[in-house]
Amino acid sequence: MCESPWSPCCTAHFLMDSSNEEALDIIVTNVVATFRTRCHLNLRTIALEGTNVIYKPEVGKVLMKLRKPKITASIWSSGKIICTGATSEDEAKLGARRLARCLQKLGFKVRFSAFRVVNVLAVCSMPFAVHLIDFTKNNRPIASYEPELHPAATYRIKTLKATIQVFSTGSVTVTGPNVQNVATAVEQVYPLLFECQKPLCK
Amino acid sequence: MLTNSGPVAKLYLSIIDDVIESVRELFMDEGIEDRVLDDLRHLWETKMMQSKAMEDFRKNNLNSSNFVLQLPANYSQADQDLPASVVIPASQNIQRFPVKNISEPLTTFSLPAGLAYPVQIPAGVTLQTASGQLYKVNVPVVVTQAPGVQQLVSQPTQKATEWREAPASQSAAVPPNTIHPQEVEPSAVTQPPQANLPPIQENSLPQQLRVPDGEASQLQGALCPQPEGTLEEREPSPQPEPVDLSMTVSPCSHLLDSQISTETAQLKTRDIDDILKEVIEVEREKAQRARNLASAKTDDQSEAVLGLDLDYNYSDLSEIVQLDGPADNSDIEEEEEVPLEENDFLGLINAEAIKALQEGDGSGDGSSISSGSGGEEEAYEIADVEEDDPLNSGDDVIEQDIPDLFDTDNVIVCQYDKIHRCKNRWKFHLKDGVMCYRGRDYVFSKAVGEAEW
Repeated sequence: MCESPWSPCCTAHFLMDSSNEEALDIIVTNVVATFRTRCHLNLRTIALEGTNVIYKPEVGKVLMKLRKPKITASIWSSGKIICTGATSEDEAKLGARRLARCLQKLGFKVRFSAFRVVNVLAVCSMPFAVHLIDFTKNNRPIASYEPELHPAATYRIKTLKATIQVFSTGSVTVTGPNVQNVATAVEQVYPLLFECQKPLCK
Repeated sequence: MLTNSGPVAKLYLSIIDDVIESVRELFMDEGIEDRVLDDLRHLWETKMMQSKAMEDFRKNNLNSSNFVLQLPANYSQADQDLPASVVIPASQNIQRFPVKNISEPLTTFSLPAGLAYPVQIPAGVTLQTASGQLYKVNVPVVVTQAPGVQQLVSQPTQKATEWREAPASQSAAVPPNTIHPQEVEPSAVTQPPQANLPPIQENSLPQQLRVPDGEASQLQGALCPQPEGTLEEREPSPQPEPVDLSMTVSPCSHLLDSQISTETAQLKTRDIDDILKEVIEVEREKAQRARNLASAKTDDQSEAVLGLDLDYNYSDLSEIVQLDGPADNSDIEEEEEVPLEENDFLGLINAEAIKALQEGDGSGDGSSISSGSGGEEEAYEIADVEEDDPLNSGDDVIEQDIPDLFDTDNVIVCQYDKIHRCKNRWKFHLKDGVMCYRGRDYVFSKAVGEAEW
């Protein structure tokens, strides 16, 4: 159990002040990170000699999959690498380093630099259903809901640069620049959702 | 396991034929003798035969051979009296097939398809091949399957195989029981791996196929010290037709104890004939080992075939297959293809690579590139400075759980129609491929596969 409810761990537990002693499980499902190798990479070499690689010449990149931190990396010839699939920021960094090590072993002069987590995706489930129309009405410009386009209402928090998608079942997905922001966003939106919860009978 | 392996061998042989033929002109232009080309062809076929592909061959033969053995009237009960025949050392497969005594003058044995070779045949049996040829065996023989039979069939060039027919009445000098079959298998037979051959080899069977000169040697009353394992055919017509074989005369007289009578007009059903020949040969050699004098060989073919066959028997037993370079997968190279996709982009990639290399070759590249990239995105400047990286072994991926992933001998070389992946499930639609799996070669025009990563 984390010390602080807002600490960036893969699962954040919340104690909501509003007379609700439940803990909300925020599960981080995806962390996207990028880094640079500071050297040009020969994609063909990687494709031919690397293990667990998929070459996509039409796009100009190589996908390399790692098993241990289960991540998939898109490698460009410029040396930019995007690493996806990790479940925590630390794991993303570890995976990125391992990947860079793989490339180094293939013979490239790789320097691990500019590691940066770009995106974190987390899901959370409210213990209640949400009435999306009411929710949208209450939070007019910040929330938007187009049922014909997408079944979820979108709530964007500018300050956190986070986007929250609320489904009528009460499931919520949050994307943000890092785990901390994601946790904060959930915390912020929870009371708003609570207000618009659907009565249980429905 | 694909049992359509016969086609594999046929395919390979046809490939060999095509290549040799198309190259013949070039060879001639270069002033190289035809003989060289033929030697090349022999070598090639030999190697190929020895290789695992041949195992398929054998299996195929095993399944397809089916011939009928007939006992002459006077031998109708012979089998019961026969002493245990000498059996090929690789005897685990030996069977005695049942003798059906029919009231007719001839007793017929049917060797069931799929019979495990070698098979013991009692003396005095007349064997009839599927083609109708009859072989009369005077001594107990063991029928073994010639591994190289089919391939031998395909080689037209070699010595013509002609049935030699012993005069029904036993031509003048010929003792009644000695007729010498001459069959030469064309082949390929510079067949090799005689080294593994069983004791029969002790007889110093020749590695080369040479058919002994028929006539003179044929006529031998007594057992020849040099056993010739061959079947003798008798043409239906009473006239003996001396076989004109491009065979060398073996120094020693060849002698067959067994007489085989044949009926057919056909000259060959190679496989069965070979088998019978081998068997008889083996028989005789065994029987006469003690008396073996000469080292020259007569029926090279049959012996070689026999040798081959024995070789395979042994290899079956001991799993020791001596193959001189058969595993070099040279045949795979014939069909190797690179996916089109990659080929198409080779030009692009190379250009790109060259450019990149040129840029990267400024080996102080770090500074130049970093300054360039740093200039591009200020946001990353700080990050760039931070490089506390050195990637070390602490970052190693768990040494590739399967480091020997590509060490496997199971290889498929093919083209793809479609490769699809969903998460970690892969689906393959492949076409036109050759694969070597567990030592056997298979050829396919379509293959579908699934795998999980």
